[in-house]
Amino acid sequence: MGGGGTAPPLEVDRLTVDYGTHRAVSDLSLEVRPSEIYGLLGSNGAGKSSTIKVIVGIVRPTSGTARVFGDDAVGDGIRAKESLGYVPETALLYEALTPREFLEFVAGVRHLDREAASERLRTYAAAFRLDEELEEPIATLSNGTRQKVLVIAALLHSPRLLVLDEPLNSLDPRSVRIVKELLLRFVRSGDRGVLLSTHTMEVAEELCDRVGILDRGRLLAEGTLEELRTRAVGGDASLEEVFLRLTRQDEGLSEVVASLDGP
Amino acid sequence: MGWKDAARLADVAFAEVALQATYAFRQGNTVPATGGKLLVRRSRQRVTQSKALVAGLLGFLVLGSALLLQRSVSGTELIVPVPVQAGLYQAGVLTGLIGLEVALLWWTGLQALPTFLSSSAVGVLETLPVDRSTLRQVAVLLYLRLFDLPAVVVLVATPLFVGLALGPAAGLATVPASTSAVIFALALSLVTGRFFVRRVQGARGGGGSTVARWAYLVLWLLPAFGLLAFITASPPFFRALGTLANPHLAPTAEALVGVYPLALALLPPLASGGATAFHTPWTVPLIGLAAGTFYAALAAYAAVWLYYSVAEAGSVPTAATAPGRPSRFDLRPQRPIWAVLTKDLRLASRTPGYAFLILLPVLDAVALGLVSYAGAAGPSAARVIALGAVSTAALLATFFGPAFFALEVIAQSYGRTLPLTTRSMALGKVALVAGIYLVAGGTVLAISALRVAAPLLFAAFVVAELPAVVAAGLIELTILFRWARRHGLPVTNLYAGTWNVILVAIPGVIVAGAPLVTLVLVGLGGMAVVSILELALAGFLALGRGAT
Repeated sequence: MGGGGTAPPLEVDRLTVDYGTHRAVSDLSLEVRPSEIYGLLGSNGAGKSSTIKVIVGIVRPTSGTARVFGDDAVGDGIRAKESLGYVPETALLYEALTPREFLEFVAGVRHLDREAASERLRTYAAAFRLDEELEEPIATLSNGTRQKVLVIAALLHSPRLLVLDEPLNSLDPRSVRIVKELLLRFVRSGDRGVLLSTHTMEVAEELCDRVGILDRGRLLAEGTLEELRTRAVGGDASLEEVFLRLTRQDEGLSEVVASLDGP
Repeated sequence: MGWKDAARLADVAFAEVALQATYAFRQGNTVPATGGKLLVRRSRQRVTQSKALVAGLLGFLVLGSALLLQRSVSGTELIVPVPVQAGLYQAGVLTGLIGLEVALLWWTGLQALPTFLSSSAVGVLETLPVDRSTLRQVAVLLYLRLFDLPAVVVLVATPLFVGLALGPAAGLATVPASTSAVIFALALSLVTGRFFVRRVQGARGGGGSTVARWAYLVLWLLPAFGLLAFITASPPFFRALGTLANPHLAPTAEALVGVYPLALALLPPLASGGATAFHTPWTVPLIGLAAGTFYAALAAYAAVWLYYSVAEAGSVPTAATAPGRPSRFDLRPQRPIWAVLTKDLRLASRTPGYAFLILLPVLDAVALGLVSYAGAAGPSAARVIALGAVSTAALLATFFGPAFFALEVIAQSYGRTLPLTTRSMALGKVALVAGIYLVAGGTVLAISALRVAAPLLFAAFVVAELPAVVAAGLIELTILFRWARRHGLPVTNLYAGTWNVILVAIPGVIVAGAPLVTLVLVGLGGMAVVSILELALAGFLALGRGAT
């Protein structure tokens, strides 16, 4: 089963992830709808990366399911992996390969056509100004350049679901702008979806149609920014204020800030 | 801060090196769902186990050499094809032992250096308020920890067992040779490690550059084939030693005793029996002593150089060639099995530990193939040597099969997100093992075709063994994938996972070896039947319904 035209880009149902005795994600359910950028927000250790690792097949959950366009992502997940493109938080790649060698490997595993893959590489490499770095070993590249290579690898096969874990962290402002534009265009064409994990509220505010707020492995709140504002504080509060209020991290915050001496 | 503080810091830094050597988190392996403390403890255990195995092998070599040293002159004919004077024979055996010790320690360094250099264990300390002198001490202590158990065996067991075999004076006289072996091996490891980081790891992609990288790797891996070189070269070496007893010795023959480690290996027989042990012209021991003094001075210089260079090596940045040449944008995607194979070959071309595993069976085949061509007495003898060369290549390729699995640990946290089936990955790895065997077997065939008796029959033998090599690879990969499914990716790199490699390689070597035994017992037809049956069975187990 799976791959059906009516299935949403991503369904996560009652997902629980344990690392030994530590519960990283607890009974989490969420859905990324067609043509939607869904933002996953949370503090450090809230369970965002663990959730994403289950969806992309790195971590096996303790219980629960994750489906990509109806295909199970938890088992061997090959069909689910064919549909998604993934940009991890840390650019740990095959250090000894050059970006072109790495992308050639990815294109091979994804059964891509030579002409189409080369054309996409040409387009994205020009956009990210990677004219000279494609033949250098990844070990010698800056974090930002590695991140650009990962973005290209994620887009090379025209995925239907993009899963991005803090994708803008190391990028320069020009590349950030390009990635943002790419994401907006990506969801506008067809029934594709994006799951974007971030703790940068401005990014979520700018890009996401809906956001889910994770706190200690649980989904605390979910909805459009307007819905969350109404629920948390009312008025036109920023997403940062909404987030702090919902996760109760605003309690005593002003005292903590006031108590800090200058460095 | 003094050595005590340095030792404390080195202990902390070593935990990081052991962790990265075992789990390669900095290279993108996924973090297991186990407590951090357990991972640290386990990584230390794994590294210690692997070092203990190398130390055990060294101890075995030392013991074997001591037994050889006790043989009388007439008894040496079992080992040596020509009669050699007792002193020269003993020096010859010690030369082999010291050569092997340098080779094995250097080999350990080759496996450990990339992790040491990429762990940034020393570089991290540079950002802390630690003075330069302490930093140097930390780096030296940390570097010594990479080799500790094997190095202690060389330093202690070699003089001890030589002393037991030839007397206390000889044991004491072995100290310069064994100490120099450790220092030279450590220095060579550092030199080649730095060379790797600067010239190989940072080399650009592209066809010409790839060929140049492999050529570099062959060049600096070549001296590490000490065992092979000794086995291959020992008959002519002992023949050359035999000529040293000639009173009308040519100066070129006398110069032989100036070569390392023979010059230092002359000291123990000199100490136990004096110059009379040699029955050679008086100039021979004299040249040996002069050269020995030079090597002792060189070792002292190398020790000082090591002290000042290790800290810098720990923070050597990977030097990229200056960008400027425009990149190529054309991608040539291959089918997944070939994509895995190509990726592994490309990774190995910039990773000396893995390049070594690919090159060893091939260079072994080249060396023995050349011996079968040039050194054999006749076509039948040539065929026996050539058969031995191909069999060795088959067994070596199979033995190292599990170590290629360690490449999957690299970037595992990304690799697992790709739609790559276990079947494609397994077949890609098996293709690598089979490819190594075919290149090695083909090389022997090409070199010795004109010399061996019945070359077509020999070619049939090379082909008949191939299914067994593929079967062995499949069996090993099946074990590893099942292991990975239950317990996570097993550690199979040779610095931290030697024990795992050996455990998994045993059934593989048995499968690859069975047709070779059948060849001896039944003949070529029986060998082919066994080989094909093994492939059918392994194929069913590894690739049959539900197997992957």
